[in-house]
Amino acid sequence: MLSMKNISKVYQSELVETHALREFNLQVSEGEFVVVTGPSGSGKTTFLNVAGLLEGFSQGEYLLDGVDVSSVSDNESARIRNEKIGFIFQGFNLIPDLNLAENIEVPLRYRGFDSKERKRRVEQALEQVGLASRLKHLPPQLSGGQQQRVAIARALAGEPRFLLADEPTGNLDSLMARQVMELLENINQAGTTIIMVTHDPELARRAQRNVQIVDGQVCDFTSYQKSRSTTSTTAEPA
Amino acid sequence: MFFYYLDMGWRSIRKTPVLSALMVLAISIGIGITITSLNIYQVMAFNPAAERSDQLHAVQLWSQGPDTWDDYSTIITYQDAMHLRTGAIPRAQAAMFRTGQAIQSDNPDVLPELRSVRVTDSGFFSLFSVPFLHGGAWTEVVDQQPAYEIVIGKAVSQKYFGKVNSVGEVLYLNRKPYQVVGVIDDWNPSPKYYDPTNGSFNDAESLFVPFSLAPVEEFAVWGNTNGWQFEPMVTYGDRLVSEKSWVLFWADLADEQAREDYRAWIQSYIEQQQEMGRFTDTAKADVQLADVAKWLEVNKVLRKDNKILVALSALFLCVCLVNILGLLLTKFLKRAPEVGVRRAIGASRRQIFAQHMVEVTLIGLLGGALGLLWAWGLLHVLTERFHMDDALTRLDATLWFITPSIAMGAALLAGLYPAWVICRTQPSVYLKSQ
Ligand SMILES: Nc1ncnc2c1ncn2[C@@H]1O[C@H](COP(=O)(O)OP(=O)(O)O)[C@@H](O)[C@H]1O
Ligand SMILES: [Mg+2]
Repeated sequence: MLSMKNISKVYQSELVETHALREFNLQVSEGEFVVVTGPSGSGKTTFLNVAGLLEGFSQGEYLLDGVDVSSVSDNESARIRNEKIGFIFQGFNLIPDLNLAENIEVPLRYRGFDSKERKRRVEQALEQVGLASRLKHLPPQLSGGQQQRVAIARALAGEPRFLLADEPTGNLDSLMARQVMELLENINQAGTTIIMVTHDPELARRAQRNVQIVDGQVCDFTSYQKSRSTTSTTAEPA
Repeated sequence: MFFYYLDMGWRSIRKTPVLSALMVLAISIGIGITITSLNIYQVMAFNPAAERSDQLHAVQLWSQGPDTWDDYSTIITYQDAMHLRTGAIPRAQAAMFRTGQAIQSDNPDVLPELRSVRVTDSGFFSLFSVPFLHGGAWTEVVDQQPAYEIVIGKAVSQKYFGKVNSVGEVLYLNRKPYQVVGVIDDWNPSPKYYDPTNGSFNDAESLFVPFSLAPVEEFAVWGNTNGWQFEPMVTYGDRLVSEKSWVLFWADLADEQAREDYRAWIQSYIEQQQEMGRFTDTAKADVQLADVAKWLEVNKVLRKDNKILVALSALFLCVCLVNILGLLLTKFLKRAPEVGVRRAIGASRRQIFAQHMVEVTLIGLLGGALGLLWAWGLLHVLTERFHMDDALTRLDATLWFITPSIAMGAALLAGLYPAWVICRTQPSVYLKSQ
């Protein structure tokens, strides 16, 4: 499903060269729920951005769904993001001037769905996250947890195969965090592959598979009960 | 997608009303000034004779002596005009000048008034395609044997006779009775190319009398008289035989052959006159046939300053555009986080670019509409404060279409760089929220 081999990512600024990812290897199979942890600045966000085709990389090979995406055009990568990938961010990143329905509609617009199909999907997605009655609200009128659920609805509306979440609970209190986590677990149950970055050890513990990134490299270990079933990962000790 | 972009653009404009208003204002002022100067230019550049403009020729003679003025005169002498009138090559021809007469009818309710009158030949009406409503020109016989006949405009007919068809009625010019032989429709070529002497954007005359009456009635010349040597000018007869030029002459020459033949005919006339001691500037004495475009140029109806004016206002528009470019850049970059989100969830660079260009076009359109208002107001101020000719200040119809195009084009130009910058920004930078 997702296969990264020896990926390197270097940020070049005038003064310093930052190796955000170095010889990064990871395999994720269809239907997995991977939780990514690691110290701050270790390259977790960079990994998600590369995985989501928001950033390129300097070296290595990246196959998404069996397709080499290292040199796809901007148009093509936009289409892949739109159709296959859903993003969830720590800061929710809803567009503040658009109401909830319009926010969720954004990826569907770029997909070229007609208004009937958009309406159906928006309603369905909002129902999935339990906010069906708030169609016309603006994001700032909602609590953080609600906003994150809208963001999840937006990511779900396109029915992606992949959900990439960067500390989705980082700005939420623990109760809301658990709700969001449960929501993501339900989504995973329904078949969507999820890769989630988090700092929260409690959430990390709940995951099927836990990947630790240290200093731009993977330090993969799976939770005890799942260790026997997941064998497709290539792990490199830090 | 277009309507989605339009919707987004409109919301964005409303979201920052002051900034948007500033941009619209900047565009509109630039456009307003450009359109104003373009309008003046277009009216002045308009070639009123249309498809006939390369057939109609004003005859210019270099009849002045040496060491006088160094160009063909726009007007010719009466004696030369009288000779040209005998020419057989043009399909139509007419000598002409302007005079003024006190007009009166038998209707005691209408007070007499002083009006411009064109003294000309019957060929005038076919030369310049003057539209007749009733009757027609006087006959060619009258061009040789003077008769008191007159062609009048519709409005004059209405005023003095209370009806449009006044053929057969009598109108008095300086108390002399003239019989109306033709009534013409409203006719007002702009510029008044057949005689731009005293104001190229003045109204055309609406009273026409036979040129053959000039020596009889001794019509005063309401126009220029050029002389280059001392000549006693006591009587009207002195004027007629003098070297003073004051008559315009137009000829309709169908093709190059006709022009060549006509030129040759006039040149032989000049040679013959030289033997009699006229056309003394032997090196330069010649004829020039000016078609309408050339004629307007000779008469400086299309002045270079107009082009400079248009260029200057275009430059001003550029300054406005640079300002707008800056404002757009600020505005778009402020929106970078939102664009980052859109990129992340599936917008391509091209789509981001398109969205912003649509917004810019919308601003341009608003600016264009306001600019049209500016232009309209500006032209009115020019008419009222500076007494410019009406024709100049009427907003040309085509500009109603050209203005929005220019405005949108200008806005697109200004928006190109900001939209390009915003569509190139790395989305991830704005998503790494801490
Ligand atoms: N756009 C960037 N330019 C330069 N350095 C960057 C950029 N983004 C991230 N980095 C650096 O790359 C490293 C990894 O960053 P990041 O992936 O955001 O870490 P994490 O998400 O694990 O906290 C850090 O040292 C960070 O400073
Ligand atoms: Mg991070």
